[in-house]
Amino acid sequence: MFGEEEMRRFSGATKYVLDHELAKIVNITMALEMPLLLKGEPGTGKTMLAHAIAENLNMPLIVLNVKSSMKLIDALYQYDTLTRLNDSRFGDSKRDVSEIEDYIKMGKIGQAFVSEERAVLLIDEIDKADTDFQDDMLDVLDQMDFDILEIDKTISAKHRPVIVITSNAKKDLSDPFLGRCNFHHIAFPEPDMMQEIVQVHFPDISQELLDNAVNAFYRLREFKEVEKKPATRELINWIRAMYADPDFKVKDLAKGDIPYLGVLFKKSPDYAMAQRAVSRFRL
Amino acid sequence: MFTEFFYTLRKVGVPVTPTSFLRLQSALSKGIINSVDDFYISARSILIKSERYFDLYDQVFAHHFKGVELTDPTEFDLTEAAKAMLDAWLKDPQALADALGIDEDSLNKLSPEELLDYFLERLKEQTEAHHGGNKWIGTRGTSPVGHSGYHPGGMRVGGASGNKSAVKVAMDRRYRDYSLEGPLARHHMGEALKRLRNMIPTGPRDQVNIDETIYQTMKNAGEIEIVFDRRLKDRLKVILAIDNGGWSMDPYIDIVQSLFDYARSQFKDLKTYFFHNTIYDYLWEDPPRHSKPYRVEEFSRMDQETRFIIVGDASMAPYEIMATDGSIHIEERSGRPSVERLQFLARMFRHSAWLNPKLAQEWSYTRTINVIREIFPMFEITLDGLEKMVTHVMSKN
Repeated sequence: MFGEEEMRRFSGATKYVLDHELAKIVNITMALEMPLLLKGEPGTGKTMLAHAIAENLNMPLIVLNVKSSMKLIDALYQYDTLTRLNDSRFGDSKRDVSEIEDYIKMGKIGQAFVSEERAVLLIDEIDKADTDFQDDMLDVLDQMDFDILEIDKTISAKHRPVIVITSNAKKDLSDPFLGRCNFHHIAFPEPDMMQEIVQVHFPDISQELLDNAVNAFYRLREFKEVEKKPATRELINWIRAMYADPDFKVKDLAKGDIPYLGVLFKKSPDYAMAQRAVSRFRL
Repeated sequence: MFTEFFYTLRKVGVPVTPTSFLRLQSALSKGIINSVDDFYISARSILIKSERYFDLYDQVFAHHFKGVELTDPTEFDLTEAAKAMLDAWLKDPQALADALGIDEDSLNKLSPEELLDYFLERLKEQTEAHHGGNKWIGTRGTSPVGHSGYHPGGMRVGGASGNKSAVKVAMDRRYRDYSLEGPLARHHMGEALKRLRNMIPTGPRDQVNIDETIYQTMKNAGEIEIVFDRRLKDRLKVILAIDNGGWSMDPYIDIVQSLFDYARSQFKDLKTYFFHNTIYDYLWEDPPRHSKPYRVEEFSRMDQETRFIIVGDASMAPYEIMATDGSIHIEERSGRPSVERLQFLARMFRHSAWLNPKLAQEWSYTRTINVIREIFPMFEITLDGLEKMVTHVMSKN
């Protein structure tokens, strides 16, 4: 059962700080050959995890960005009727018109199945699609094969891809869907974890700036009325902005003078709220 | 293995399925779970499918596995244990003596120091860990000494030592927050109302209709004729009638407002009307219910496929609904009871629903809610309720 590939263990990547709990879950999911469903606040690194697995295990990454109007078949394959029609009319291409297979293009799931090496398949934001899509897709991922109706051919996975599914929804997905996945909820990182994450992105950051920025960040996250709390992505961009500003001094931050609030709060009521709160804090 | 753990999870209300339990077994048999730590994490990711149950899981796990780690107790642990036993002895000598199978009187003669030594000796006599028995000291037994026992008066002896174990992590109950039902925020509404749409082709013809193209091309003797279609767009008509008057709706204004906000950004064809308590001759287009009245009769000219959704707590004095001239506003005197108006609207719009910010369990206590429920299907404003409402108004018949 254990090929050489399964024995490869996931242990983090260059730009991803992994907590050991998550590493274990990834490894166990790979061993069980099940899809891993990740939930959690935006900015907790759900999508990044798939990138990290691909990088760490040196596998190609295939990303399926789910859209609300998406049908399952779009993710599997596409039959390019128009090109075939065009070829049959003008006959100036090298393709063989009577060979329908030449006109089948693989969708993202299809690509992961026919890939010559084991791939990481990231299915991003599954909650956007409707329930039928989700359930049908899990059937395909369970069986590891699908039929191409037009040529009556079954495509089975050459290598079982490592499947990571992310969802932003607070609402639970359907039971049959959940039954087929392993589940993990990524909590928002604790301040010390966050410091590590920042350090990965800014290796030469001074401890003073790091402490102050992360502290200020968590203080700002505590505002209750904010609709969209700033997440890791905002923090990284915020620190980048402070880096880029030659006039910025860490001492100001410690004093409670917080620049570039717009990087952290992206909705105008949130921004106004944060600004009021910050100026009150300064006084 | 761990069947009991599985059933405890079920008992406390975590939805765990036999399939996932079997999957856990297969994970165990693969030899990838080597410690309680691994087990804690793996079992959670395999068995538990929502962060809402993480907290319950932590509790069950801690309850079940506390102290099960099969490490030999150190001298320190033993001393601690012995001290704990001494404490128990001082509180209730009888119970401890019974549990250890020794005579209370003979122990009574000993001084506390001697007692401590005695307990320590007894503890050391155990050559191996003694879990699940019913006589001696170990864990999960029915003897009152040792921990996580089922003896009601059982006391906790010692504890997990060393590194932060899975049990400790579980005892932290890091996921407590997620088990609470959060308030309904706007993106929740979006989630629930997402399916409230009706796809109709609109816009420019820019999508190829393949079947039609092939047909026309063949008809055209092979000369390619590409047929374009309009895209499918959401063109659902929604009428939202909101009760914005009176004190009784005040606590729910926030909820209703975010529902309203969401609806406005979501639906192209949305009309909003306001009323107070219940509907008589008019609905108002302006929130103060003053300058723009809209006659209820005129709704009959609207598309009957429009989804008619009323938001209100439906709580008022019964006469306001049942009596002719029931309105508490003196200027609304039409001679028709509100109940007739509501029935008229329900007949007019096949797809209608009443959203009530009050929780469903309180409904039966208010008489007018019962009256209105007979006219409109009523749903509570929670994720669940919104979802049911959407299913109801989107159903074909």
